[in-house]
Amino acid sequence: MRLLELCLAWALCATPVAAEDLTIVSWGGAYEAAQRQAVIDPFAAQTGQKVDVTSYDGSWTALAERGPAEGWDVIDMLADQARVACARGLLLQLDPGALFSSEALADFTPVRPDRCSVPQNAYARVMAFDDRAFAGVKPTRIEDFFDTARFPGPRAVQLSPDGILEWALLAEGVPPEQVYGLLSTDRGLRLAFRKLDTIRDDIVWWQDPAEPARMLRDGRAVMAAGFNGRFFDVAQNGRVPIDIVWDGRVIGIEVWAIAATTDAPDAARAFITHATEAASMARLATRIPYGPTRRSAFDRIGLNPETGVPMRAYLPNAPQHGGRALVRDSAWYANTEDLRQRRFQTWLDAGR
Amino acid sequence: MTADPSISTAPPLLRVLVLTGTALVVGTAASLAAIALVELVALLNTSLLVAPKARVQWESLPWLVAATTILVPTLGGLIVGLVHRHLSPAERPLGPPDVIEAVQFHKPLPGLRSGLISTGTAALSLGAGASVGQYGPMVYLGAIFGGAARRLRLGVPHLASIAIGCGVAAAISTAFNAPIAGVLFAHEVVLRHYATRAFAPVTVASVTGYVFANVIFERPALFRIETPGIAHGYEFALVAALGLIVAAGAIVFMRLLLGLGPALARRVKRPELRTALAGLAVGLTALALPDVLGIGTSTLRFATIDGAFGPVEVVILIIAKIVLTALCIGAGFSGGAFSPALLIGSLIGVFFWTVASGFAAVPTSGVAIYAISGMMGFASAVIGAPLTCILIVFELTRNYDVTIAAMVAVVFSNLVSHRAFGRSLFDVQLARRGIDFSLGRDRAHLAALEVVDYLRTGAVTARPDEPPPDVAARLQQHGWREAFVLDGDGRLLGVFAPGAQDAAARIGPGVDPARLVFDDTTDLAEAMERLRGFVGDAVPVVSATTGKFLGAVSEADLVAAWLDEAARLRKEENASA
Repeated sequence: MRLLELCLAWALCATPVAAEDLTIVSWGGAYEAAQRQAVIDPFAAQTGQKVDVTSYDGSWTALAERGPAEGWDVIDMLADQARVACARGLLLQLDPGALFSSEALADFTPVRPDRCSVPQNAYARVMAFDDRAFAGVKPTRIEDFFDTARFPGPRAVQLSPDGILEWALLAEGVPPEQVYGLLSTDRGLRLAFRKLDTIRDDIVWWQDPAEPARMLRDGRAVMAAGFNGRFFDVAQNGRVPIDIVWDGRVIGIEVWAIAATTDAPDAARAFITHATEAASMARLATRIPYGPTRRSAFDRIGLNPETGVPMRAYLPNAPQHGGRALVRDSAWYANTEDLRQRRFQTWLDAGR
Repeated sequence: MTADPSISTAPPLLRVLVLTGTALVVGTAASLAAIALVELVALLNTSLLVAPKARVQWESLPWLVAATTILVPTLGGLIVGLVHRHLSPAERPLGPPDVIEAVQFHKPLPGLRSGLISTGTAALSLGAGASVGQYGPMVYLGAIFGGAARRLRLGVPHLASIAIGCGVAAAISTAFNAPIAGVLFAHEVVLRHYATRAFAPVTVASVTGYVFANVIFERPALFRIETPGIAHGYEFALVAALGLIVAAGAIVFMRLLLGLGPALARRVKRPELRTALAGLAVGLTALALPDVLGIGTSTLRFATIDGAFGPVEVVILIIAKIVLTALCIGAGFSGGAFSPALLIGSLIGVFFWTVASGFAAVPTSGVAIYAISGMMGFASAVIGAPLTCILIVFELTRNYDVTIAAMVAVVFSNLVSHRAFGRSLFDVQLARRGIDFSLGRDRAHLAALEVVDYLRTGAVTARPDEPPPDVAARLQQHGWREAFVLDGDGRLLGVFAPGAQDAAARIGPGVDPARLVFDDTTDLAEAMERLRGFVGDAVPVVSATTGKFLGAVSEADLVAAWLDEAARLRKEENASA
C-alpha cells in the first residue's frame, strides 16, 4: 500500500491537472464535517491538491442538473442512486482492477467496487427505543416493534415504504436472505402491509431524518425507525437515554463515484483510492458511526477523538453485533421505487 | 449383471484408502456440480424473468412480463424436447430410477452424453420455470461423477456402486445443507443396504458436500425456520390425520404423473410439441397464479406464514401444481418430482391448518408445523424415503418437536401410500421397466436373472414318430431320463420317459404333457417358486413368442444360481472394507 501511495503522489505531482481544483460533493452537516477531518483534509495535506467541498441532496437528478455547471468531480452517493446514475451515463467508468490490488478488492465487504462506484461506508436503518418508556423488559427484536401489547406506545416511522416493509416480513419470521424475494410478490407485499396494519394507529410519521431521535427525546414516541448515526448523535451529545436494537438493521452502502463530466479524472481517482484505504475509513468511523466497508479497517477503530466513546460498538456493520442484518438491495430498490410508493400510498389511503 | 470376477481384491488397508479417496473426490465434484447447477438455474431464473425478484423489477412494462411468462416456458419446452430428440442417445431425461437400476445391478449408467444432456436440459427446464424439481437432476449429476469410478480397477468390489452412492449423498447433502439426510438418502433409495464398505465412504462424501456448501461457500440453508414447537398434545393426532390426507394427495399426484405421459404421447406424436404444450400450460396458468412457476422457493416460505393464503386460493394452487407438475414431467421436461412434492405437501398442510384452526376453531401452534409435516409426509411418499425426510426436517429446523411431528406425518403417509400405490414413484417407475423392488432387494435381483441363461447343453429331443427304443437309447447315451418331444416346427409337445410304452411303434401316444414349462421371460425368482413340488430332473424352456423349444434347465442348476446370487448379495450387504 505504501508504495502505491507514493506512486500515486508522484503521478499527481507530475501531471499538470494536479493544479486544477478537485470538487468533492457530499451531504453537509455533521457527516461532511467528519469527512473533512478524517478523509479530505489529510488528502489535501498529503498531495498538495486544492479541494473544494459542495453539498447536495443525494439524488441523481441533482447530479444531472448541477454537476456539469458546477464542475463536480467526486460525489458521495447512495449505492442505489449511483446505480441509476451509472446506467444513465452520468458517472465515469472505473476499472476496480486498476485502482486496487486483488487483496484489497477481496477486503471489501459486503459489496465490492463496481464499474462506477467504490463503497466507502455503511449506515443502517435501525430500531431505537426510549429506555425510560420500558422500565422492565426492553425490546430486543424487530418483532417487538410490531408488538404493541408488550411494548405499548407511539412508534416513529418514516413516511415512506423504505425499510419498514423489510421489517414487517422479518417480523413474520422470513429469513433476511429471502426478504427481497418475497417482497417482490404481490402476496409478500400484502403480508407486509397486513403486519403494518397491526401498528397503524400507533405510528407517528416523520420526514426529516433528524426527527425520530428528537421524537424519542421529547417523548413523542417510545420506539423509532431511523438512521443509526442520528440516534448516536442525540444519545451521545444530547445525553438522552436512547438505545439501539441492532436486530433487523437494514444496512445501506454509501459509495464514492466520479462525475462523467469531471475535468480532473486522475486527481479524482487518487482521492477515491485515498478515501477508501482502511486507515481513512477507520478515521471516519471514529468521528461518526458509519462503518467501514473493508474488513481490515475494523481492527483500527478506536475512541471518538472528542467524546472518548469507543466507536466500534456503534457501527452498523460491526462484526460483534448479533441478530439479523439485511443489506439493502440497491438494484431492487432502484427498480421498484414506483411500485413500492404506489402500494404504500394505497395502504395509507385505506386507513383514512 | 454381477461383479466382474476378474478384478483381484486389493489388501484391506489399500481398500480403505481407495474408498476414502474415492469418497473425497466424488463428494467434492458432486458438491461443486450441485452448487453450480443451483447457481445456473438462479441465473436463468433471473435473466428469463421467472424469479419474482426479477419480474417485479420490470413491473412498469406489464406486457413484457406477460409475454415472457408465456413464451419462456413454451420455448424452453420446445428446446428441451428438441435436444432430447436429436442430441441425446437416451432420448429422454434421466433421473433417480436410472441411478437405482445401475447401482442395484452393477450396470453402467446410461451413456455419459445422455447424462450430460439430461443435466443441461434440467437446468433449462428449471431455468425456464417448468413445474419440475431440482433434486432429481442433482442426484443424477452426483451419480455421473460416481459412475466414472467404474473405469477404475482399484481392487474394491462394487466400487462403482459405492461411488455412485457417494455422489448422490454429496449432492443431497449440499442441496439441503443436511449431511445426515444425504447419507440416509443414498442408503434408503439408492444402495438399499447398510454395509460398512458403502456406509463409511458415503458418509465421508456427504460430509464433504456439507463442508463445501456450508463452510467454504457459506450458502444459506434452503429452509430456515424458527418455531416455538408444539403447544398441545392433541396436535400429534392432527398431524397423523394430515399424514393420511397427504398420502391420498401423493397417490393422486403419482398416478396422474404416470398416466399423463403415455396419454399425451398417444395424442401428440412429436415429443418437442409435448414439452412445448406443457410449458404453454405452465405459462398461461402463471399469468393468473405466478406461484406455479419453477421450484417455488417463495411459495414454500409463504406456506410457513399464518394466513398467507386464503382457503380457496390454496386449493386452486394445490390442484394447479399437481396437474402442472404431472404434465411437465409426463411431457418430458427434465427434472424431478421432489421439490414440487415439497411444495404441494406444504400447501396441503396449510389447507389442513386453515380448516382445523379457522373453521373448526381448534387452538394450534401455528401453520408452520402443519406446512412442514404436510411437506415431508407428501415428499416421503413420493421418494419412498421416510428416514431421509425425517432427518431433513431435523437438520433444517434443528427443532426436536417439529421433527417428531413431521415423523408422525411421514409414517402415516407412508403406511397408506406404500399399501395403495407402492414404496415410491421411483420403484413404480422401475417396476414398469420390469424391475420390481416391492418384495425386497434380493427378490428384485433374482427376478433380474433369467432361466434361459442357465440352459443345459445336450437336452435330448425327439419327434413323435420315432420308435421308443431309439429314444431310450439316446437318453441312456446322454444320461437323461426324459426326452422333450417336438413337432415339425420345433414346438414342444410334451415329454417322453421310456418304460411302459416300449412295445409301441412310435412314442407319440406315450407323450405326457410337460408338468412345468418355463419360457424365455421366466426369471429365477418365479422359477424357484414354481419349482416347489416339481419332480423331475429338467424343465423345458420355450420361446414366449413362438413357442419353440429352446432347451432345458436342471433344478440343480437353478438352485445353484439362486445360492450364488444370495451369497453375492450377502457378501455385498455385510462387507467391511
